[in-house]
This record gives sequence, structure tokens and C-alpha cells, in this order.
Amino acid sequence: MPPSPDRFPDEDLPQGAVVDGLALTRDVDEAFDYVVIGSGAGGAVAAHTLASAGYSVGILEEGPWVKTRDFGSDVRGAFDRIMRDNGLQVLKGRAYMPMIQGRCVGGSTVVNSAIVWRTPEDVVDDWSARFGLGTAITMKDLDPHFDALERDLHVQSVADDVLGENNRLFLEQARKNGIEAAPMRRYDKGCIGSGNCLTGCADGKKQGMNISYVPWALAKGARIFTSCRAERVEVRGRRAVGVIARGHGGHAVRLRARRGVFVAASTVQTPNLLRRSGIRSRALGEHFQAHPGLALGGLMKQRVDMSFGATQGAESIHFRKSDRFKLETISMPPELAAARIPGVGSELAARMARFGDVAVWAVQVRAEAEGTVRPGWGGGDVVRLTLTENDLRATRKACALLGRMLFEAGAREVWPGIYGVPYVLRSIDDVKLIEEAPLDPRAYSFIATHLFGAARMGPDPRTSVVGLDFACHEAEELYVVDSSIFPTNLGVNPQHSIMALSRLAASRVAARASRSAVA
Amino acid sequence: MSPLRRLTRFELACAKDAFIAIFPGDQGIATMDIDGYVKDTLARIPLEPVIGVRLAIWIVALAPIFVLRRLVTLHGLAPSDRELVLVALATSRFYAVRQLLLALKAVAALLYAGDPTVRARLLGPSEPLLTPSRIVRKAPRSLRPSAPAPETPNEKQKPHAAVA
Repeated sequence: MPPSPDRFPDEDLPQGAVVDGLALTRDVDEAFDYVVIGSGAGGAVAAHTLASAGYSVGILEEGPWVKTRDFGSDVRGAFDRIMRDNGLQVLKGRAYMPMIQGRCVGGSTVVNSAIVWRTPEDVVDDWSARFGLGTAITMKDLDPHFDALERDLHVQSVADDVLGENNRLFLEQARKNGIEAAPMRRYDKGCIGSGNCLTGCADGKKQGMNISYVPWALAKGARIFTSCRAERVEVRGRRAVGVIARGHGGHAVRLRARRGVFVAASTVQTPNLLRRSGIRSRALGEHFQAHPGLALGGLMKQRVDMSFGATQGAESIHFRKSDRFKLETISMPPELAAARIPGVGSELAARMARFGDVAVWAVQVRAEAEGTVRPGWGGGDVVRLTLTENDLRATRKACALLGRMLFEAGAREVWPGIYGVPYVLRSIDDVKLIEEAPLDPRAYSFIATHLFGAARMGPDPRTSVVGLDFACHEAEELYVVDSSIFPTNLGVNPQHSIMALSRLAASRVAARASRSAVA
Repeated sequence: MSPLRRLTRFELACAKDAFIAIFPGDQGIATMDIDGYVKDTLARIPLEPVIGVRLAIWIVALAPIFVLRRLVTLHGLAPSDRELVLVALATSRFYAVRQLLLALKAVAALLYAGDPTVRARLLGPSEPLLTPSRIVRKAPRSLRPSAPAPETPNEKQKPHAAVA
């Protein structure tokens, strides 16, 4: 039965479907056909696909289930409740980059901007030719899954009435410069432009996993164990047979898997979880990649009002192939923008007083740099990545372009946030200084949001962790369905690709399981 | 609670001074419960950032010795001098110093801009622009940041550090 209009899908869950690891009063030992680790884009879709095929599914989620009704615009509260490490996780290398990941039911889909991109064909071709994926994953395989996901999650372009000035200005300037750009396509069921994507959509319009595939999987009989950290996958005789976890209240949670285990803990957590489970592949933790993002602020002559409109609503992949970057808008709440607006004291106050006139446009670089994911002190994860000179060249070219566009759109000031360039540019002629910015990653204020690799897929166990059937080379029925298996980054937002690959993997596994049951 | 998460009175006073220097004014962060916020934040966040925040506080506290060449801590400076010290740190040639000041600014921003009254003010109509360089020029010459950004396109430009 569909929920009534005044209720959200996360309020109408089957009785007993949610087990809160914080409230457990005893140890848990239960059996399912499949156990899925993670309830983000990869895990939620796999769980739903397997449950839809008639299998019993247990989902383990490290974070809590924060309900839609409890979301708001409070950034600090959101960081504490739904972000990993209170939003303070960093990627280390020659420079530090904040690395934003959701840690709650729905994972990063709760805190991202719900941007939809099918895997670019050139990427799939590259995986096939250069990484030996051959015909294991083709666009023909993926397209039906993309179609189904787009139907289920109401994919649509940002509507004009909620575009907002930040996005509209970007599109106008891109058009004037002959740059191909468009309103974003998003998982959007009637966005009202509250600009709160980053703190969880309190209106229940953004179709994150917390109000879509997770509740739908539960409606089909799956159960979810929230606030339970997966410690390791139990592998017996080269076969995954269950997961050992611990509830945040301290009780042990053992979920036995009669048929298999799906890992979708994310690019950062999956490699170390596999390591703790006895996987010893040489490729594990290697080939980590990202899309480092850098935002430029502009103090405009006209009112922009980032508090209204799609948080991210306009983008351009015009330069994705030629220069390895994507341009996009991002509306920042004052709490985050304040740290990024130049100056302190009276200088900062003067700019903050005109916060309504601030526009923020950003670049996402398809970085060629490769890094590592290793276990850290106290059970944490240490991610290292240092951008290459080519990555920084792409960044400064994109920043210079955005700087010019901001001035053309009416900026009085542009804030590049690059050390070695004046922190406030006051005319379009100043933009050339960005083109000469240092090729040193420490000069830039990047944020890493899209993460890939570190448990790469491929046919050769010496150079990859996961085989072409999504199962680990070293353990049968241990499947990985998050972006850690991607042989490379994409150059576009990855959620849609993660979900499609997860749906493809789970469909194939379910079909094979039912065939073997019939035989 | 781990002693690492507990600030000394001196550290707390310096954190407060730094926060007020970042977000000054009658309606600034001084009107808010900085002590409670800092204590609560350090109790919640992972240990590594706690160490980073404490390090940032010490750098800020002792910065006047290096920036102004005066044997005084941030706490002992007049508010206008504190601001100039922070500007110098924000544009430091040392990456770690810039990053730690950015971290402190980000922590302060969550309190300041997260306040409902401030939020409402920021999201309301904009106030007339007061050119930042004019503010800087009001300061004594010895305390001015090394390279304020030029105001006209024709002025000779010297690359200058970014304030995050």
C-alpha cells in the first residue's frame, strides 16, 4: 500500500524489519539466504533485487536510520548524525582533502545531490579493452538496469521553477560561451528547491536509498540491522558463509549466509573489510581513484540566494573527454560557505553580509592519480592520494574558465581559493593569474566526494580483487557491488553506475541461484 | 573523557579569542556559547581532528610571537591585532599552518552560521558592500597583510596566498 501523502516511506516499515544495534539487549545469530553489507547505492539495490527474486536478505548498516522527519537544515547536526567521522574524514597525500561519506541508512545517497549519469560508453569500452572485462559488462547489459532505476527513482531534469539563480546563471553563461550544459537529471520526486540536499532531504523528495530501495526491500521481507559494524566476512573453505558484526551497543551480531554475501561498504571501507576477512590479493587497496572537486565563489552584483533552488542543478561535461573535468554548480549552506569565503574578522563580515549575492560553481576533475586504501590506527581506514601535474593542469584550466564565466555573469569578486593566486580577483583580466597557479596540490582546496577502485574488477587474480562475476577471486559467493570494483573513475557522478552494476550483479547471482535450485 | 579531548583554560581562552577574531562584532560569535560548543565538539569528533584543533589553537595562541615579533599570546592582543595575526596565518607560506587555520575557521563557522538568527540574517537581503581593502587600509602599516589584492585590473599583480 503506498504511504499516505503526509507520511514518508521510512515511516511505514514492516514490523520487526529494523533491528537497532544500539538497542540490542542480547547477541544476535540469524540466517538469511544473502547478507548485504551496506545500505547505500550498491547495497540497497542489491538487497532489493535479491529480495524481489524471493530470497531472504539481511542488511547490515554501520550507521543509524535517521528518518526523513528528523532531517533539517542544521549542518552540524547532519555532520554528527549522518556523516562518517562527523564529516571530518580526510584523504591524505601531499595535501589533505576532506572526504565526504554518508554513514547512515541510505549511505551517501542521503547527503549527495542525487545526480544521474549513465556510465559513459567510452569508460565501459576502456574497461573492456584495457582491463580485460571483455563482454562481461557492456552497455547492452547495463541499459535495462538504467531504465528500471530511472523509472523507480523518478529521474527527471531539474524543473525550471526550482532551478534557482545559481544554476540559472551558470547555464546562461555556459550557453554564451558555447559550452554544452544542461539542467541536471536527478532522482527527484517533486523537488521544491529547499537547497538542503547535503543535510538530508526533509521533504522526502530526493529519492535516496533511505526512502526507496531499502524500504522496498524490507517490504519484500528483507531485514536491516542498523548501527551494526561489519567486522569481517566469515569465509570457510574458500566460501563466504556469513558476517560477524557488532552492534553499537556492544552486542555481537552474526548473520549467517546460506547462499552468499554482498559487500557494498564503499570504496574506503570495502578493501579493509575484505582484508579483515582474509582476502590477501596484491591488488587489494591499490588503484584508488577520485574526482577531486574544487569550488569557486563569486560575489555577484545581483542577488543569487543559494538557499532557494536545487542544491546542484546545472552541469557541463563539455570538457570531460578533452580535458578530464566536469563543471557544475553547488549551493552551499552558510555554515559551509563561511569557511570558504575569504578573510577573517571585518573582511569576512563584509562578505558574509552579502551572502545572498554569492554564487558557487565547481569543477570535478577526473583525476588520473592513483592512491591506496590501507588499515589505519584503531581500526580506521587510511586513504592516500596525491594528484598529478596533469590533474592540477586540468583543475586550473577549469578554474580559470569558471572565473571568467563568473565575471561575465556579473561578479564583483571571484574567490579562487588557490594559494599563489590573489585570494580575491576583481576583474576578468585577473583570471589569467589562475592559469599560472602553482602545480602543487597543497595550493588547492579540494574536496573528494566520488571515490573508486581499491578492489578492482578484472579477470586476472594477480592484478584484480574481484572477478568478472563480481565474486572475489579468493572466496566463492563473496560479491562486491560498490565503486571499489570500478577499474577507473568515470568523469561523471557515480551513483547511477554503482546502482546499475549492483542490480546487474544481483540479478545474475539470483538467476544463477534459481537455475541451480531447479537443476 | 580522554584528557586529549579536554582543553585547558588557556586553550579555551585562545580558542574563544580566535573565534571572536574570525567572526567579530556586536552580533558576532561572542554572543554565543563558545565554551560549551568547543567542549561538545571535541567530545564528539574523532581523535585525529581533536589533535588538529588543539594544534591549531596553539599555533594561533603563539602566532603573535612570529607574526608581530612581540612576546605576547593572542589573548594578550587587542582585537584588531588578533584579526591581522589570523590574516597572516591564513596566508602563511606553510601549508600546515594555512590548513590548521582553515580547520579552526570551519569549526567556528559551524557555530556562527548555524545560529538561527545569524542564518536568517545571512539569507535575508544583502547589506551594502564595504570593500575589504578599505578595511585593511585602516590598520597600521606594520600590521597590514603582506599583499592585499589589487583593486584595479591595471595595477601590477603579485601572486598572493589564498585565504581558504
